[in-house]
Amino acid sequence: MKALILVGGFGTRLRPLTLSVPKPLVDFGNKPMILHQIEALKAIGVTEVVLAINYQPEVMMNFLKDFEAKLGIKITCSQETEPLGTAGPLALARDKLIDDSGEPFFVLNSDVISEYPLKDMIEFHKSHGGEASIMVTKVDEPSKYGVVIMEESTGKVERFVEKPKIFVGNKINAGIYLLNPSVLDRIELRPTSIEKEVFPKIAAEKKLYAMVLSGFWMDIGQPKDYITGLRLYLDSLRKQSSPLLASGTNIIGNVLVDETAKIGEGCLIGPDVAIGPGCVVESGVRLSRCTVMRGVRIKKHACVSGSIIGWHSTVGQWARAENMTILGEDVHVGDEVYSNGGVVLPHKEIKSSILKPEIVM
Amino acid sequence: MGGSEERVVAVIMVGGPTKGTRFRPLSLNTPKPLFPLAGQPMVNHPISACKKIPNLAQIYLIGLYEERDFALFVSSISNELRVPVRYLKEDKPHGSAGGLYNFRDQIMEESPSHIFLLNCDVCCSFPLAEMLVVHRSYGGMGTILVIKVSPESASQFGELVADPVTNELLHYTEKPETFVSDRINCGVYLFTPDIFTAVQDVSSQRKDRATLRRISSFEALQPANRSLPSDFVRLDQDILSPLAGKKQFYVYETTDYWEQIKTPGMSLKCSGLYLAQFRHTSPHLLASGEGMKTAAISGNVYIHPSAKVHPTAKIGPSASISANARIGAGVRLVNCIILDDVEIKENAVVIHAIVGWKSSIGRWSRVQASGDHNAKLGVTILGESVMVEDEVVVINSIVLPNKTMNVSVQEEIIL
Repeated sequence: MKALILVGGFGTRLRPLTLSVPKPLVDFGNKPMILHQIEALKAIGVTEVVLAINYQPEVMMNFLKDFEAKLGIKITCSQETEPLGTAGPLALARDKLIDDSGEPFFVLNSDVISEYPLKDMIEFHKSHGGEASIMVTKVDEPSKYGVVIMEESTGKVERFVEKPKIFVGNKINAGIYLLNPSVLDRIELRPTSIEKEVFPKIAAEKKLYAMVLSGFWMDIGQPKDYITGLRLYLDSLRKQSSPLLASGTNIIGNVLVDETAKIGEGCLIGPDVAIGPGCVVESGVRLSRCTVMRGVRIKKHACVSGSIIGWHSTVGQWARAENMTILGEDVHVGDEVYSNGGVVLPHKEIKSSILKPEIVM
Repeated sequence: MGGSEERVVAVIMVGGPTKGTRFRPLSLNTPKPLFPLAGQPMVNHPISACKKIPNLAQIYLIGLYEERDFALFVSSISNELRVPVRYLKEDKPHGSAGGLYNFRDQIMEESPSHIFLLNCDVCCSFPLAEMLVVHRSYGGMGTILVIKVSPESASQFGELVADPVTNELLHYTEKPETFVSDRINCGVYLFTPDIFTAVQDVSSQRKDRATLRRISSFEALQPANRSLPSDFVRLDQDILSPLAGKKQFYVYETTDYWEQIKTPGMSLKCSGLYLAQFRHTSPHLLASGEGMKTAAISGNVYIHPSAKVHPTAKIGPSASISANARIGAGVRLVNCIILDDVEIKENAVVIHAIVGWKSSIGRWSRVQASGDHNAKLGVTILGESVMVEDEVVVINSIVLPNKTMNVSVQEEIIL
């Protein structure tokens, strides 16, 4: 079985992290974002994944070489020379997605983190016999997204409403699709939107069905949602009693610590923290609701909450980073410095406090 | 005695990629020394100035950038100016004097009698031939270019005190807290090869001190004692300061313009200064605005030959348009740098801004700023491939590469 992951463009909303690596390779829960999706696909028997990209192909190619072997799944790239929207890339990758088997193929959006009940989705798709299945998820604020109006009992999709001004429904497009090869005949090789042009046509023919995603869902394409997403992800690990979660007297709630990371004495870590490979957390440190990426050093008595600390950065002794502080790669926050929502571009030293949210270039 | 066989070598320090984040967002796409001012890469200006030096044998660019970043530039500028230019990559930072010392073998290859040391990010008239003349008359180890500035701003620089008669350097101090002098170091120096001995002495002294002295733990915490590696030698603190007043160094004062090009805002100001200089030294480089088919030109304007400018546009003063840019009908450009492949659509206005490579400015849109070159958001900077949609207004803002502006903004940094 095959799958396409829409990787897309520059990831500008996740800057400054995406100034150092392309968005799919930004770590989430101690592994590159895209690895969560590739592993879920492999688990249900997908043998080939096509990445639809249009930015930094060389970096992605190198990543693939490392992971293809480790994962035992074929990974190829389909490179857009101009941005093709959300449907165009499928047309571009047509030859890679269709084989003689006539099996449907998955399409995933690389910004999405969720439970990935892909096996259930295959069953659902077989049972309704339609041309395309999409996953929908219930959200609190539907007007931020595209709402899917569907028949509750069968899941048959009636129509889409983009960012509705009044309440029309609370299920939105979760960015996970299972499509029959015939869908590719509906897509031309030009910038095309799958939500605005392709799906409405299939829905009009009553061949589009939606399945409600159980479990968590988050679009982690921007820092605030990334931090919320981490909480949901760690929560789902807890529900599965995952051995990956840390435990101990200095751990509160759900915490992920890479085996190569070191944590000192007298720390209090959690809830909702991920500490990446090679990190050093010195003694007396308080970490909560944050991600600490590969190679970071948090010095003694420091405090980090609600923030993302980028690769190889350091947080000084008695320093405090909170309220959506995002440090890019190789940022060094001096001893005793306070950052309230500082967004710092890579390779900087912060020697004086940032009292209110500000971008430091 | 100065003979016609005396060869001179010029060394230009170009810096490196992770130092100097102040030039972002422009430095996200291009090394600062190659950023164009008045239509030419920043480093071109000191290189062209070096051509005025009699008996110039070689120009060296020393920096921390990868060789490939400068390969194309170096070969084309060597051809164009008919002077050998070479880029030497430092393996690690050595300090302003240490860098010179690190490459002393190459620099001394042709046994030059004099060595100029210039900083790439200095904007001035580079009176190098005049410096050579006075240096010979002083007979010291080095001559430093200085300029008078306002007492308030002097503390940002190295302040020098010189004997008003002999021009000998009597005292040098770097960024002092209290007022010492209103003459500051321009970052342009002329040395004789004795400079290498002076650097070597500093290195050896430091090595000896490190092995002999055991610093108490309290002393070790003091910033001044933070041990620098023995091959890291700063020209200002380690050489000029200690040797001031010993009849080794002299000063030459310039009354022309001088600025440091540390930020994008300053690069716009310096581009204007160089355009004004072209009016005197190379007026053929500037756009003339003569003829029926050309746009109206006001003041000093540079337009690359491949750029297309609609005849109903009005350009300048102080505008610079790079290769393959397309300027549409009725466009107004004032005090700006328009980089390669930019498209500016009809009736748009750009004032006090830098528009990045491949960007697109929509019809009737307005990209402007207060024009305060020193303020953080005083010049609007659009990074590479930024699209400003029709009728959108972007004021006093910085926009990082690959963004689309579909709503108006003021005083913002858009990541």
